[in-house]
Amino acid sequence: MKTPKLIIIILFLIFKNVEANDHKNTKYVYVNGLVCDFCARAFEKTLEKHEAVKNIEVDLKEKVITVNLNENKKLEDSVITQLVIDAGYAVREITNEKK
Amino acid sequence: MINLNFIWFLIAIIFSSFIEARPVSYPGGLTLMLMNDTDKNSVHAHYSPTSHISLGYKFEYWRENQFTFNGIQMNNLIKRWNKPQSQANLYVKSAIGSAFSDKGKFENKNNISGFLGISTDWETQRYFIAYENRFTEAGKIDRFFMQSIHLGITPYIGNYGDLHTWIMIKATDTSGDNRGMDITPHFRFFKGIHLLEVGANLKGKAMLNYIYRY
Repeated sequence: MKTPKLIIIILFLIFKNVEANDHKNTKYVYVNGLVCDFCARAFEKTLEKHEAVKNIEVDLKEKVITVNLNENKKLEDSVITQLVIDAGYAVREITNEKK
Repeated sequence: MINLNFIWFLIAIIFSSFIEARPVSYPGGLTLMLMNDTDKNSVHAHYSPTSHISLGYKFEYWRENQFTFNGIQMNNLIKRWNKPQSQANLYVKSAIGSAFSDKGKFENKNNISGFLGISTDWETQRYFIAYENRFTEAGKIDRFFMQSIHLGITPYIGNYGDLHTWIMIKATDTSGDNRGMDITPHFRFFKGIHLLEVGANLKGKAMLNYIYRY
């Protein structure tokens, strides 16, 4: 019964690959100065204007912005940092996985 | 002889270290503020081309001297301190326009008018403290210096989009006859792009402020 095992392994590898690609399309931006809803709104207005950004989610408690990118689009960390500075805030760290 | 109010104004600028809520928005942000406190009714609509400046229209009606102000207001963010759990700001606010009064000896009098002041604030998701001052010049109609301190605490911490509730108190001191210290306990309700403040001063006069930011 090698075939089912092989199928499971193949499916696992495919799933892992999809998951890895998903991570590549999401950035987690840890921000200083994020203390209120007006701050959160500032990121919606600035980050979501960028063509590479599909949408963002703001977590006020963890002070992190989840930036979901459009398929096949990339956004350099330096560009994200500049957009955050333009909005009036400061980047602490940008990661590909949530801490 | 140097005006005493001007000296107080300089002292306040030098020693102030804390302030008032967000007179400058994010780039492209539009803000509407409708303020009805114990001294005045006001409307301030402004646009922020960058996160360091806002320009807009200001209307005020001061009930004591029954004078109205119509003008252009500019707010400048001088310095912002972004920390992992807090934010602090230092702003300069200025306006120039026209004052009009129909009270007593000022019957239908017009004057060039303006004000200049600073505001500074420090806030976390739990605490808020702000200091603000301004010197107002309206020629023969009015001239005064006012300063205020604003404190707040929230009993719970919400996330973006939740209803945030603050318990606050604002103390305002204004120079001039029939003026003085005014203390106004109030609540602040904050949800998304809407901010509402409701309260009354210790003499029972109502306060109702609303800010909309888009």
